Amino acid sequence: MTSLLEGAKKLVSRSSDIGARVQGLEQALDSAEGRVDAAVVGDARAVVDRAVGRLKLSAEHTVVALAGATGSGKSSTFNALTDLELSAVGVRRPTTSWATACVWGQEGAEELLEWLGIPARHQVTRDSMLSTGKEDNALRGVVLLDLPDHDSTEVSHHLEVDRLVRLADMFVWVLDPQKYADAAIHDRYLAPLASHKDVMLVVLNHIDTVPEARREGMLDDVRRLLEADGLGGVPVLGISARHEWGIEELKKQIAKRVAEKKATRTRLGADVRAAAERLQAVSGTSSVRSLSTERVAALDDAFADAAGVPTVVRAVEDSTRIRANRATGWPVTAWFSKFKPDPLKRLHLDLGAVGKQLTGAARTSVPKATGVQRARVDTEVRALADQVSLDMGQPWATAIRKASTSRLTDLNDRLDRAVAATDLGAEKIPAWAGLVRVLQWMLIITAVVGGLWLALLAFGSYARLPEPPTPDLRGFPIPTLMLLGGILLGVALAMVCRVLVGLTARKRARTADKRLRDAISEVSGELVVAPVQAELAAYSAMRDGLATALK
Amino acid sequence: MSDSETAQDAKQGGDSSTQMLTALVRMRSALQEVRLPLELPSAPEQRDAQREMVDQLEDYVIPRLMTIEAPLLTVVGGSTGAGKSTLVNSLVGTRVTQPGVLRPTTRSPVLVHNPADAEWFGQDRLLPDLERVTQSTNDPEALQLVASDAVPVGLAILDAPDIDSVEERNRVLAAQLLAAADLWLFVTSAARYADQVPWDFLRKAADRSAAVAIVLDRTPPEAIETVSTHLARMLASRGLKDSPLFTVVEGELSEDGLLPAADVAEIRTWLESLAADAEARSGVVKQTLDGAVRTLARRTHSVADAAAEQVDAVRRLRDDANAAYDRAVSEISEASADGTLLRGEVLARWQEFVGTGELLRSLETRVGWLRDRVVNAIKGKPQQAERVTVAVESGLETLLLEHAEAAAERAEASWQSLASGQILLADAGEDLGRASRDFRRRAERAVRDWQSDVLDMVRTEGADKRSTARFLAFGVNGLSVALMVVVFAHTAGVTGAEAGIAGGSAVLGQKLLEAVFGDQAVRALAERARRDLESKVAELLGSERQRFIDLLDSLDISLEAPEKLRAVSRRVDDLRFAARGGSGNSAGSDA
Repeated sequence: MTSLLEGAKKLVSRSSDIGARVQGLEQALDSAEGRVDAAVVGDARAVVDRAVGRLKLSAEHTVVALAGATGSGKSSTFNALTDLELSAVGVRRPTTSWATACVWGQEGAEELLEWLGIPARHQVTRDSMLSTGKEDNALRGVVLLDLPDHDSTEVSHHLEVDRLVRLADMFVWVLDPQKYADAAIHDRYLAPLASHKDVMLVVLNHIDTVPEARREGMLDDVRRLLEADGLGGVPVLGISARHEWGIEELKKQIAKRVAEKKATRTRLGADVRAAAERLQAVSGTSSVRSLSTERVAALDDAFADAAGVPTVVRAVEDSTRIRANRATGWPVTAWFSKFKPDPLKRLHLDLGAVGKQLTGAARTSVPKATGVQRARVDTEVRALADQVSLDMGQPWATAIRKASTSRLTDLNDRLDRAVAATDLGAEKIPAWAGLVRVLQWMLIITAVVGGLWLALLAFGSYARLPEPPTPDLRGFPIPTLMLLGGILLGVALAMVCRVLVGLTARKRARTADKRLRDAISEVSGELVVAPVQAELAAYSAMRDGLATALK
Repeated sequence: MSDSETAQDAKQGGDSSTQMLTALVRMRSALQEVRLPLELPSAPEQRDAQREMVDQLEDYVIPRLMTIEAPLLTVVGGSTGAGKSTLVNSLVGTRVTQPGVLRPTTRSPVLVHNPADAEWFGQDRLLPDLERVTQSTNDPEALQLVASDAVPVGLAILDAPDIDSVEERNRVLAAQLLAAADLWLFVTSAARYADQVPWDFLRKAADRSAAVAIVLDRTPPEAIETVSTHLARMLASRGLKDSPLFTVVEGELSEDGLLPAADVAEIRTWLESLAADAEARSGVVKQTLDGAVRTLARRTHSVADAAAEQVDAVRRLRDDANAAYDRAVSEISEASADGTLLRGEVLARWQEFVGTGELLRSLETRVGWLRDRVVNAIKGKPQQAERVTVAVESGLETLLLEHAEAAAERAEASWQSLASGQILLADAGEDLGRASRDFRRRAERAVRDWQSDVLDMVRTEGADKRSTARFLAFGVNGLSVALMVVVFAHTAGVTGAEAGIAGGSAVLGQKLLEAVFGDQAVRALAERARRDLESKVAELLGSERQRFIDLLDSLDISLEAPEKLRAVSRRVDDLRFAARGGSGNSAGSDA
């Protein structure tokens, strides 16, 4: 394929526009593959292959196909145009079973004929052995094909016609007075080829069998039917191959178009346009929408909820409070808080950064998403997909919807890992709490020393020992001061610290919340946003490709 | 056999032919009733077949069986430009129909008959839906009748439109007319004789053993030999070797546009001899009629197959939609009973309600209660119990909404995977892949209804306990919230970290209710509330499901249609064999 494209690119100098359009269509197809209906993509793919194949081959030649019903005189017309008796003419129907080709100007035509699938025994070169002396320069570069019929009981003929009609650069449809209104030609060929009217000629053969006065009327009738097929403006010539009426005019018409050397490109262009329009019709024409930040934020919220972020954050706050209070509280009573469970431990989130490095991302025991939470996630995902696919064609809306949910199956696992892998910053008690703890213990020791001192004094007085002098501070005995001061200051410090701990706990909770949400946002980005973005990118690439193809 | 004997025969066979007639009329109505609205692969073909068969029964088989002695109807059919009209004019000897060079030509069919036979071609006889006219017209719904002495008694010639032009109405009408013919006079030309479309018609004629004669028209004299030999060979290889083949050379037309009489003499003589020979004539009629009935009986089976496929397809689509919504209903009922609703928001509010002590505070004096009301009113905060209610409401709503969306998506996806489903969805007019537009509103309403039902339940149940201290303490609101909590933890164990808390909440609620109502009553209440919720959910999703079911119902496919068709077809076949057996015997005895 690539090599074919390379080949096509070499020809860009000659047909830059058509080469680019084919490439555009191919790009659009690459993006649409697997998303848009396979039949549409497949057909368009065939158009690309044909176009690339044709562009690689002789640009000097124009393939003109003579097509029509059995008995309309295709072969007679062919013979009249070539001035030779090449094609068998007969009364038995159908006469022609194989396509015959006549080439004016052999050079470079072999490959083209091979591509067309015309075997050598059905080829004739007009300018070689059979030349009759009067060179027909006007038709130089024409590859004239005499096709089999499309309406006889021989089905193989129809297939051959269908094949060659797709390959020819230009068509000459041969009608006759008996058959020109047949449904077989109008419904199966002319109407579907309405987009190719620029590379089409229609001739009404056997005009000699129609009374002279009625000929104009019949040609008008043919024009009327063509108009109904969407082929208004296609030249209609009345000819008689048998009497050579109108053959010169037909030659002139063909020669004129061949000389312009545009037929190939026009034909391929029409093919590409038709395929691109079909693709566009199913894909929709709306411009690419970007994901709105509100939608993504709402999605993150739902994910965070499903991951149990509020539970974890509350646990962080509670855990910090419990542990810091234990550290900074009055040691005598703080000791009781050992019996309170640490909520972070219960969620298996207390390992801290170092612990996580050792164990890898451990499982947490954060409660699994409940039905309601999961429902909220699904609702948000759907809303997100809806927001971007609002005006797109059905296949793309479906593709985006599918992409948005494609990775949700491992949602719980991913959320759990994200939560487990996040450093909550709650494993250590704050530094000042350590200082306070030392202070608290010093105060306790002071109080104990004071107490012991007093006890000693009490024992001394009980034992009638001489009372040693008790130092005092402004008249306040030191031991009493130590005992009471130690206790009161400890309690007061504990109370002050409670407030500080509350503030710290809330701050840590906020930090943890932010870190968790960042981690969750990464997960939602990977599971939902990225697949949707990928679809949007594909859609955008397809649009660009189509825009090029339809230029 | 003389005419009187034929009549006697007809009388003898009267019984069996009446039975046959009844069976065919039944077949017609059975065929007409059957509907094939789904786009299955077999559908387009069988729909056409069904229409053709009804037409053929109405236009030909039934009227023909009723008037078996009517003149032989010869339909001249063929391609556009083969010279049908010219041939008919030449056979009749005057210009009765309009030939032309512009294609397609003949538009309204022309029937030429002997004046003596006029009675047979009234409106209520053959082809009843074509209006009878006496003037030439372009209306394809009309049948122009022309009486002419040139046509022998006992024979009528019908000039049909072409079978292959771009005018679709012509093609349909031609097929209809050919189906109503006793004898086909098939006209083709040297340029046409190998065309595919006419041969498709001839193949059908061979299939149902219709009497066919071929006319090779517009043939250059020098080609006659080759072409007619080739054509004869084609006819033989396609099962039509007994059909007479006439050739007409392409010659100068007279001023009236008629062929020289000598050129058509052969055909004319053949037709006249056929008209004169009553036995041969009725043989042709019987052959074609019998073939038509046989083919009808056979094709009825394939229509019945198509109808059975439709029934299967509808069943499958219905099952798909039901499966999608049944799953939603069961998932909702599971999620609302296993205690998971009690986590998160609801749990937090319930804890506030229980923990912050509204319960306790409620125990305080009326002053305390009043103070709360005042404080709450000023702060704009709802009552704690109401906040639990709101949390329950939003939780349930999210659940309902998401499951309705998911069910719609599942149902649509399974329909999208079938061609028939795709077309139904495209015709639906709304996007069935989503929950209906007002679903959120209805879900809110249903949840609120349920909550007020629970409130009513508690109120009624507590009617005689109004004055008890506990009832007063918790209030109707408090108790109904407790009941909801109990309902949500119906099946279960809340697991994980919140086990203690949430499980405890439910236990606490249960205890609270039991203290007021007694445990038997609480169980009954919880059960009733749960059933009420389930029925509301089922009803809500039922109306969503109905959008799919309505689409299927609108197709109006009868389940019995296939069997009915097969039955009438068998009946016709039985009668046909009985009649053949009988006639075979009589033929034997005649011999």
